[in-house]
Amino acid sequence: MVNENLVKDVVKEPYKYGFVTDIETEKIEKGLNEDIIRLISQKKEEPKFLLDFRLKAFRKWQKMKEPDWAALGYKKIDYQDIIYYSAPKQKEKISSLDEVDPKLLETFDKLGIPLTEQKKLTNVAVDAVFDSVSIATTFREELAEHGVIFCSISEAVKNHADLIEKYLGTVVPASDNYFAALNSAVFSDGSFVYIPKGVTCPMDLSSYFRINSGDSGQFERTLIIAEESSSVSYLEGCTAPMFDTNTLHAAVVELIALDDASIKYSTVQNWYAGDDEGIGGIFNFVTKRGKCLGKRSKISWSQVETGSAITWKYPSCLLLGEESVGEFYSVALTNNLQQADTGTKMIHIGPKTKSTIVSKGISAGNSKNSYRGLVKMGTKATGSRNYSQCDSMLIGDQASANTFPYIKSQQPNSEIEHEASTCRISEDQLFYLQSRGIEFEEAVSMMVSGFCRDVFNQLPMEFAAEADKLLALKLEGSVG
Amino acid sequence: MEIIEKIKTNKSIDNETEIQKICLNKLQSSPLPNPKSEQWRLSNKSKFSNFLDYSINEKDPKFDTPFPNTSQGTIRLVIGNNCQINLIGENYSIQQLSQDELDKYIKEQISCFDQDENWSNLLNLSLSNTKNILGLKINGSKIPSIEIFSHSSSNALSAKTLVIFLEKNCDVELLQVNLGKENSSLSQSTYFCLDENSCVNHGVVSYGENRSNLLNSLNVIQQKNSEYNLGSVHFKFNYARFEISIKQSEGNAKTNIKGMQITKKDEQISTYTKIEFNGPNGFLDQINKSLADDESHAIFEGTIIVPKIAQKTNASQLSRNLLLSNHAQIDTKPQLEIIADDVKCKHGATISQLNEDELFYMRSRGITLPEASKLQLSSYFQEIISFIPVSKDRWDLLDKLLNEK
Repeated sequence: MVNENLVKDVVKEPYKYGFVTDIETEKIEKGLNEDIIRLISQKKEEPKFLLDFRLKAFRKWQKMKEPDWAALGYKKIDYQDIIYYSAPKQKEKISSLDEVDPKLLETFDKLGIPLTEQKKLTNVAVDAVFDSVSIATTFREELAEHGVIFCSISEAVKNHADLIEKYLGTVVPASDNYFAALNSAVFSDGSFVYIPKGVTCPMDLSSYFRINSGDSGQFERTLIIAEESSSVSYLEGCTAPMFDTNTLHAAVVELIALDDASIKYSTVQNWYAGDDEGIGGIFNFVTKRGKCLGKRSKISWSQVETGSAITWKYPSCLLLGEESVGEFYSVALTNNLQQADTGTKMIHIGPKTKSTIVSKGISAGNSKNSYRGLVKMGTKATGSRNYSQCDSMLIGDQASANTFPYIKSQQPNSEIEHEASTCRISEDQLFYLQSRGIEFEEAVSMMVSGFCRDVFNQLPMEFAAEADKLLALKLEGSVG
Repeated sequence: MEIIEKIKTNKSIDNETEIQKICLNKLQSSPLPNPKSEQWRLSNKSKFSNFLDYSINEKDPKFDTPFPNTSQGTIRLVIGNNCQINLIGENYSIQQLSQDELDKYIKEQISCFDQDENWSNLLNLSLSNTKNILGLKINGSKIPSIEIFSHSSSNALSAKTLVIFLEKNCDVELLQVNLGKENSSLSQSTYFCLDENSCVNHGVVSYGENRSNLLNSLNVIQQKNSEYNLGSVHFKFNYARFEISIKQSEGNAKTNIKGMQITKKDEQISTYTKIEFNGPNGFLDQINKSLADDESHAIFEGTIIVPKIAQKTNASQLSRNLLLSNHAQIDTKPQLEIIADDVKCKHGATISQLNEDELFYMRSRGITLPEASKLQLSSYFQEIISFIPVSKDRWDLLDKLLNEK
């Protein structure tokens, strides 16, 4: 018989990214109104079209209602009690990394994201976002040689306004949902990626988001455009310090893939999840959507969700182009009082489109983990296929796992398959491993890792190792 | 929506009973279900309002069954035929529930109704008068199979209610047939209470004629060690909803459900099931099949709820759908809500058309396309039909389904 307490101990692990960087920041006053939005826009020296975009979104947001359909329970968010802009103070514009506040570099170093020399070995370009602003982007010259644009969205607004104007809000319109509208109104920074025609991005691109201030929300916006026959792999990581209050994070990510282009977007989300009693933690409301516009284009989402008190996130694909492909691979681990309502939407519009969904949910403690997905075959999606698989693993008898797949078909010449299962850590397997001399906690960790293998296999090398370590860390603990 | 106006103004029924009063009161404040709620979201609004367009039918015309005559050893009952039932055989007894027993039970049920989830039940009980409520208590073994009919009459809305108590160790086969007449609406609610160690093979065959509507709700409560087997088929309705709610009140019970809905023309037929395990060691095996042709719309939503107490539950749910036309639509949503950790739960869903390889194989052997399609369909239907307790020589359901225009 498995000792339940043992398993529970194993899944407990203190949050190690919970430190606060003591740095002078520039914050605006709390609250949200048109003046605040004008102030943000002014601080970022934005062109008029963007201010109009923000104001339009804000007016729409005011008329919208916060969604309540997700299987989540949380205390009401006071949107007037949030600081919508917070940035580390810097005297002048930074032209090289040497001018970045060493404290910031140290922070990212501590998080395992060195922005200096060392990182070059791993061949990953990083855009580091601290609260509301991007503080540094590495490898820019090397990328520019290939014509790849990788910079913060604020810079893109200044230097590539035409691209921003053309694509911003085309995948996730400002009025899409409550949190997307809020983000459109107040987004502060994020990453912008443009891969020109025929270019395979020579290295992985990565953004690292860090919330440092307890009373400011983070509203980043990411826009990735892959022109014809190009390809890119993009990684995203997130952490935050421990605070007793809840911090709001409402991001929007838009991906656009043209003919034969492919985008791989991977996330390891490890925001602070709150303590054992559920005090503090990040409220994570994210809208991520990719548009496969071109023929044979491909968008692949992979995510490892381990943090946040509340996760509300449905990375989706609009499959418009003929033979376009959408993929979604997800591992969501919830513990203590965490709640996650996550899944995907695969909207098949064009003919011969294909999508694959693999979702693994692990719930421990008193947490709640729901998969919510939509697969829709439109009338023109002839010869399209979808395969979905959602598995849940329960650890302890207080955790809950829900599955809500919505499946809709209007096209007889298409096929949809969905399967889901729920299980727990098998005692037989545990016994077997232990009888072979493997420690209890290592055995649990191995089994969880095995459960998630299908998804980890889809992550880029560096991330797969990190994700495995992250889960192992969450599962490692005080046994023995 | 004549009936709703009448409910609002409290003019729907003369001489209403106490139960009707309670239900009407509940409905008066918000007489219609919330169209945004999960259970009603996909319901076709104009068809639903068509259901409510008829006024309530007080007098039932004579019932002429299109169904084959009874064979020996079968008991046939028609809801609304006002006769006293008291059948006592060697090993069994089938008795009518007393008015007190019936009222007490129904009131208990109403007290835990939710406006959206049990709207169909509330409407049914508000409209069905004493004559149209049949309550039976079944006891014993070697019980002859029972057939219970409910039917609507043209240009009217009929409401029929059936309450069945299966006593301990009782084992019975029961076929329920719901018939919709041309331009009519039928509201049928059925309540089943299975006592310990009882077992029922329940068949539900619902079919309509031109432009008939049906709201069929089935509520089952299972005590421990009981077994409930349901085979159902719904077809040929302009608009039909089949709502199944099953509670295993202490777990340790077995539930098997095999259901099917066939939609053609512009019909909409939906099935909603909710299965709750309120105790350990529950078992569920459910399969729901849909077939949508022409411009029709078939919907399935199934929820399995496993609370913490229901350890060692073993539940599986499968939704298989055939979409045969470019203008038809299928929505399916199998759901799991699980808190207990030591459980085996799974669900699956598929939507496709007829298997092309199989069709090709049959055609290459000289079978024509229509024949080959029919063969495939018959194998698709057979799994469900064989689960309905009616023998083929009496009533060839498969033949009826395949040759139905």
